[in-house]
Amino acid sequence: MRIPLVLRRPSASRTLAVVLVAIVLFMSALNPQRFPTLGNLISMSYQLPIVAFLSLGMMVTMLSGGINLGIIATANFTGIVTVLVLRALAGEAADEAGVGVALLAMGGGLAAALGIGAITGWLIAYVEVPAILATLAMMTLLNGVNLVITKGYTLSGFPEFLLGVGNGMAWGVPIPFLILIAVVALLAILLKRTRTGLSLFLLGSNPIAARFSNVPVRAVLVRDYLLSSGFAALTAFIMMGQLNSVKANYAESYLLVSVLACFLGGVDPFGGAGSLSGMVLAVVILQVVSTGVNLLRMDPFFIQAMWGFIILVLIAATFLGGRLQERRRLRAARAAQQGAERPSGDARAAVE
Amino acid sequence: MTEEFLRLERIHKSFVGVQALKGVDFTLRQGEIHCLVGENGSGKSTLIKIISGVLQPDSGQITVEGQRVDRLGSAATTARGIQVIYQDLSLFPNLTVAENIALSAVKERGSGMVNWREVRSIARAAMDRIQVDLDLDAEVGELPIGRQQMVAICRSLTRDLKLLILDEPTASLPRHDIDSLLAVVRDLKAHGIAVLFVSHKLNEVFAVAERITILRDGERVATLPPGELDDDKLVSLMTGRTLNRQRFSFSDAGARKVLEVRGLSRRNSFEDVSFDLRAGEIVALTGLIGSGRTELALALFGISPAERGEVRVDGSPVRIASVQDAVAAGIAYVPENRLVQGLVMKLSVTENLSAAVLDRLRGRFGLVDPARKEAMAVEWIQALDIKVSDPAVAVQTLSGGNQQRVVIAKWLAAGPKVLILDGPTVGVDVMAKGAIHSFVRDLALRGMAVLLITDEVPEAVSNASRILIMHAGRIREEIATAGAQVEQVQRLVEARA
Amino acid sequence: MLRGLLRHNETYLVLLILALCAGITLANPAFLTFENVAGFLKSCSMVGIMAVGALFVLVLAGSPDVSFTAIAQVVEYAIAIATLRWGGNIYVAILAAASMGVLMGLVNGVIIHSFRVPTIIVTIATFNIYFGMLYVITAGKLINVVHPMFREFGHALLFPQTSKIGGTYGLSLMPLVWLAVVVVAWFILRRTFLGRSVFAIGGNEIAAERMGVNTLRTRLFVFGFVGLLSGVAAVVHLSIVQSVVPNIIVGKELEVIAAVVLGGASVFGGKGTLTGTVLGVLLFAILNNGLTLLDFSSYWYNVAIGVVITVAITNSAYQQLRREKARVHVKVEAR
Repeated sequence: MRIPLVLRRPSASRTLAVVLVAIVLFMSALNPQRFPTLGNLISMSYQLPIVAFLSLGMMVTMLSGGINLGIIATANFTGIVTVLVLRALAGEAADEAGVGVALLAMGGGLAAALGIGAITGWLIAYVEVPAILATLAMMTLLNGVNLVITKGYTLSGFPEFLLGVGNGMAWGVPIPFLILIAVVALLAILLKRTRTGLSLFLLGSNPIAARFSNVPVRAVLVRDYLLSSGFAALTAFIMMGQLNSVKANYAESYLLVSVLACFLGGVDPFGGAGSLSGMVLAVVILQVVSTGVNLLRMDPFFIQAMWGFIILVLIAATFLGGRLQERRRLRAARAAQQGAERPSGDARAAVE
Repeated sequence: MTEEFLRLERIHKSFVGVQALKGVDFTLRQGEIHCLVGENGSGKSTLIKIISGVLQPDSGQITVEGQRVDRLGSAATTARGIQVIYQDLSLFPNLTVAENIALSAVKERGSGMVNWREVRSIARAAMDRIQVDLDLDAEVGELPIGRQQMVAICRSLTRDLKLLILDEPTASLPRHDIDSLLAVVRDLKAHGIAVLFVSHKLNEVFAVAERITILRDGERVATLPPGELDDDKLVSLMTGRTLNRQRFSFSDAGARKVLEVRGLSRRNSFEDVSFDLRAGEIVALTGLIGSGRTELALALFGISPAERGEVRVDGSPVRIASVQDAVAAGIAYVPENRLVQGLVMKLSVTENLSAAVLDRLRGRFGLVDPARKEAMAVEWIQALDIKVSDPAVAVQTLSGGNQQRVVIAKWLAAGPKVLILDGPTVGVDVMAKGAIHSFVRDLALRGMAVLLITDEVPEAVSNASRILIMHAGRIREEIATAGAQVEQVQRLVEARA
Repeated sequence: MLRGLLRHNETYLVLLILALCAGITLANPAFLTFENVAGFLKSCSMVGIMAVGALFVLVLAGSPDVSFTAIAQVVEYAIAIATLRWGGNIYVAILAAASMGVLMGLVNGVIIHSFRVPTIIVTIATFNIYFGMLYVITAGKLINVVHPMFREFGHALLFPQTSKIGGTYGLSLMPLVWLAVVVVAWFILRRTFLGRSVFAIGGNEIAAERMGVNTLRTRLFVFGFVGLLSGVAAVVHLSIVQSVVPNIIVGKELEVIAAVVLGGASVFGGKGTLTGTVLGVLLFAILNNGLTLLDFSSYWYNVAIGVVITVAITNSAYQQLRREKARVHVKVEAR
């Protein structure tokens, strides 16, 4: 396969930070009444965690050289199972259920997500099915199961506590945002300071060497997909809080957005590299752009086309940027050589 | 047949920062078998690329069959009958043997169409020329490397061939395939085709070359027939220095047995293997590729565990079903394919060094402590004299010898009792080889039990106190090296082929 | 010979299809009738045509193209409007659709070749651009009335029969278009150097370049061809449904790719067969048809495909593992 160029400049995060500031200023200029307001900031802080968790769930699998096409389907599945457990426990009075019941229901949903993660991880780690195929299969399967269970209907009626996870506030900050901060902090520690996290990078770069280097490859892979499914579950709970309903096919378009966020955030699609700070910045940028253009009342389909265009621009920029770096490096090396070059006329080789 | 086919005069070539060739003269006779030897960095791959038209010289003259040639591009060189087979063979693993052989010729016909009968007849004709028989419909990716090489050679025969350049062709071939290859090379010569061999493996070079050209630091140092050279002279011409030929000896018969293997077996890999390894010993495990030696190592390391038999480390029986089991038992393995199995190229030296011992670098709250990782990296870089400016650079920027040191360091950091080294000096320069050998001997002196897997008999004889000869999955012979001659051992090994 | 057959992915597919057919017929004999078979062959023709294109991309690059449904959707819209405005006949329509598809596909080819990024990422981008712009320009309007040529083409029948209730049925031309596409594709892949280059690049791009293969030209051909086939598929779809709903084709990408992968194409590139692709498409079509005949709600379709895909990939991976385990590393001597 051709070796592609990927957004992996060492200062990628710095570039993204600059881009973020520029975009915030740009959006504020376009929409001075509505964009740079506290209300808008809070609104964005509610929505951001959804994209963020999905993207992070995608990222952890891409780090190990895989992908999780089934993450959205898993999130929807979680939501549906949560509702089922809720109704089993509280019957008609689901929306008046107390914290205990809500927690039990969420536990059920989480268990369902982790079950999916375990199966996916098993397929990839033990049966050695390529990740793209295994998660494609799970996605199709889950989409079908979700449809069969819900028959296409929307389900709603959630207790206070559950809704609070998604749309509550604490100390003036949206709860999902607080959860996001906590999770990102934990993930940072996981990725850089635990054996499992560090192993992901080894695994993604070179699975064979990882195995030879005492990395318990299979266990790490299963944990990886469990983690990804965990993120899906988290997303589900937050979505439930904000949409007050579950459906078989919510957030379908977010699959593209999460892949885009990973790409933008510097995750190598072939595995082995990615920066959490880059991801966070990428997701924030995507959220800001999304909100900004929404406020402008732009045609959502135009926005969709715009996303596509942005990816292409990014691809071109990365490629050209890489080329530029190459050229600069060559020029520097050439200059160094000219400085050190001896006069020509070296000794000839011994004649035969 | 002493007409010249190719003459290079005063060839200069530099790249940014490096002068690869400094005024090299080189002649090749028609139908000659000529070997090109030199260390990494001697300029031999640059010379090959210039001959095959991939690179243009900065100055100098190239004459092919009496005609001066000014700009040789690779299509032009192929038209003149010059072809190269690189180490990676440039084959299509997903296509059949017939197609791999004939596709290039079909392209030349220019019609844009593919006639399968024609493809098969072209392929068959090429195979007949060198008397090999391959299954035309086999998928090339499923063939062993020796056969793949045959496919590559057949492919080069489908065009008018006058000079075939082979870049390190025997690097990973089992014995009988090496013999087949050398037979093919002689066959090509009989057809009037010259063969230029680039090789690290001195005994093959001596077996078949009519003349040997030695490059060093971008200059041609000598061109001699094999009769005027021996191992030592060759090495000194290649490196400008002489090798330390002192042998390793081990005399502590009372040392504790670190590793005891009894009746170890695995289907289609090895059968009924038993041997002991004592602290401070270096035991060589030798045998041709396909004898089961690497499979045995992989079983001891937990990658492909044994099915029957017993292993004891320091007297206690251990069950090795995974790499984790092996490392916990104190066994470490430095793999034969350092690039793919030993290192994660993209990652830094630090990351590679710490990869196997992450759980021992924990600090507060049971989390891996970056400071300890850094400290560990610095410590091992110093201990093994790894030449790197900054432990944070990617390991792929290091030279082969230094990369090998990183792999070894990675495993030493795990504090093993048994160190298995599989071909540790393959593809490493002669001087760096010596350095690795002294280092391993040092380890043994300090109590490590070392199992050295190698197919270079001189390496085994110099560095081990005992040699286990493996053949067809079984250990057939055990020789004490004290007093043994290299040729004698070589004959024993080949007798088992 | 039996072992040779067992090694082929297609064998398992054929067995699976036969088993399915047997099972469905037992439950509902209406399955194995000419009318029914002709019916589901007609309805899977569009997917079948697009699957051929998807095969080419998967062989070339291992990374799938996901924009072909968007191309088909755009072309379908354009052709519907163009024929309403300017008339013409079905051949002109097919030609125009194919040409438009080629151009849209070439965009993919140029970007992928120039910037060396995985196909899936570029085509996600172009998918969104094509589909997004389609909606922006058309505002999501449906087209309910199309030029009569499409109804004529869509309703044309070979071997017409009269059914018990007085209607006519027979073999539609759509599966024949699919067949023609398969034959042309077979010829290209098997008999032309261009087709072999696709496999060569998929197997070892560097070696292909060394051999003198023009990788740019081959890439452009593949993506242009995918576009062409998407255009043809659009006309086929238009002829079948005689209306344009702007988001009906879109969404089938993964199904098409799943069919191709099920048929034996490798996600690493360099491998895949037309036979397998056709079998994969047929398998899904039979599944869908079977579910309908057995009165399952359409919601079960995804579950069914999901199960089939899971079983197939598990089996294929398992076979691979077994093959590796059985490989003889060393010919161990008896004593």
